[in-house]
Amino acid sequence: MKTIVRLQNVTKDYGQGQALTHALRGVNLEIESGEFTAMAGPSGSGKSTLLNIIGGLDRPTSGKVEVDGREIDSLSNTDLGVLRRDRLGFIFQNYNLIPVLTALENAEYVLMLQGMPTGARRDRVREVLQEVGLEGLENRYPRQLSGGQQQRVAIARAIVSEPALVLADEPTANVDSKTGLALLDLMHRLNEEKGVTFFFSTHEEAVMKAARRLLQLEDGVICNDGPNHM
Amino acid sequence: MNSLRYGWRNLWRNTRRTLITLTAVTLSTAILITSYALMDGLLVHAVSSATNLVVGEVQIHAPRYLADRSIYRALADPARILRGAREKKIRAAPRRYGYGLVAVGTKSAGALFWGVDPELERTTFDLAGHMAKGQFLAEMPSRGMILGRKLARSLQAEVGSEIVVVVQAADGSLGNELFTVTGIFKAAGDAIDRNAALIHAADFTELFVSGDRIHEIALNSRGQMSTQDLATLAADLASKEEVKTWQQLLPAVSDMVNLFDVFIWIFGLIFILAAGMGVMNTMLMATYERIPEFGIIKALGATPWRIIRDVATEALALAALATLLGTALGLAGSYYLQEVGLDTSLFAGSYSVGGVAFDPIWRAAIGLKVVLVPVVLMVIISLVASLYPAGLAARLDPVKAIHRP
Repeated sequence: MKTIVRLQNVTKDYGQGQALTHALRGVNLEIESGEFTAMAGPSGSGKSTLLNIIGGLDRPTSGKVEVDGREIDSLSNTDLGVLRRDRLGFIFQNYNLIPVLTALENAEYVLMLQGMPTGARRDRVREVLQEVGLEGLENRYPRQLSGGQQQRVAIARAIVSEPALVLADEPTANVDSKTGLALLDLMHRLNEEKGVTFFFSTHEEAVMKAARRLLQLEDGVICNDGPNHM
Repeated sequence: MNSLRYGWRNLWRNTRRTLITLTAVTLSTAILITSYALMDGLLVHAVSSATNLVVGEVQIHAPRYLADRSIYRALADPARILRGAREKKIRAAPRRYGYGLVAVGTKSAGALFWGVDPELERTTFDLAGHMAKGQFLAEMPSRGMILGRKLARSLQAEVGSEIVVVVQAADGSLGNELFTVTGIFKAAGDAIDRNAALIHAADFTELFVSGDRIHEIALNSRGQMSTQDLATLAADLASKEEVKTWQQLLPAVSDMVNLFDVFIWIFGLIFILAAGMGVMNTMLMATYERIPEFGIIKALGATPWRIIRDVATEALALAALATLLGTALGLAGSYYLQEVGLDTSLFAGSYSVGGVAFDPIWRAAIGLKVVLVPVVLMVIISLVASLYPAGLAARLDPVKAIHRP
């Protein structure tokens, strides 16, 4: 198994002086290719900060972060952008689709950034939209889709470029429980059948149960990490 | 999904705001094109009035003739100059000048006599068609005379009036003749209006006993050659004579043309800057509204350059549509003003600048530059105006941007 993420003694502080907040306090973590890992913890425990740092959206205050064999600290902002574009997929809590683009155009956005020719990327996107159960809805705009369907588009956008790792920040938080479970099934299937590596945050018990590995984060520290026995 | 399609759809996310900016840029472009065409029309008319009526694009005189206008300072070899101009297919009119007195009844005045070749004047200049009353000089000498309109008024002369002429001839004798007024010019500039008395070249020679003296050859290509090229040609034909361009002969008109050129640019820049501010305002508002979206785009891996390109393309799409509509509107207005014109006589009557009379109907002149300059400038300013919001979007921190409410 290849190690996709390696964090060594990572800290992240916000603010200064009396307003100083320690969002992460010496986090050590390794995620290997093909894992389906959930990260649980109360609000403010540092889940989003950890995801942002792994995703190259934020830089740690100290410690070493390695993603897909590349040390984040040594990369410029542009190189970080390229890493995100080519090796990482993101699923956000609020779907965060681009409202003026159709489902197909949203899903193909990353491939367009990568410079893939139109014909090839359209074929690839249609294939992925079919995988996530959105066949026939390709030309709908986000406002014409339900919350669950929008999150499926977001999942399609995250996996379409076959990234090394998909980071998902509470991907089922904004949908009802039935839709949430369906989305979770989809992510699970993509992990098992396509080998997509998922690392997601959640505070929902049902989602935690689905993970094979479960991390517990409290006050910026991983207090529990191991196979999921829930 | 290319930048243009993406930008185009983004423009219509806020239809009202886009329509307001579109209208502002469209009207600015239209006003700019129309006013540029009007200004250009004025300049074209100024130059054409200055050159085609009587002055010509280039004049050749004996050295120092213009300083004292002595009847004795004549061109050394006018025949050679006229032959050379004819060979180069440049129209040229030779003129003789002399001072004297004219009287009709009890009214008298000083006058500058022009001895002209009617046929060459007719083919080289527009003066022959610039008659308020009567007709231009006949082909053959017939003691006919045409007067400037103010001179005719001060003499109370009409077509058919007998006019007594007294001059100091070139041989020192006193020339004395009786002429008949055959025509009176329309307003043709102060110098002509106040003291011009045109007579046939043969009548002039006889009156002034001036022999074959020619004091001026006026060249007019009617825009076929640039003034500078024509001046160079004239200098080749008359190397020992004095060659002056219309700009040197009519510095006030030349200054006015230059001033108007500057004025057009200042006027245009004000409009273009105002339109650019409108575009910038729209793009800034569009950028601020979409900060979370730019955060997402950055998170997905869009480079700053890609974001700048997207925002700039959006502004360019807006500018392109607005300039297209503005050009159509501006051309329609310019065409109307070219064909019908603005009648300024209601406000200013007839007027002249620097001794050159202007047609009171102010017409626009449509040319490529009249359209191209405003359109190109408008597109450039829109692009420049989009760079600030584009830069803001490109520099956003993705995490902060995504979580911005």
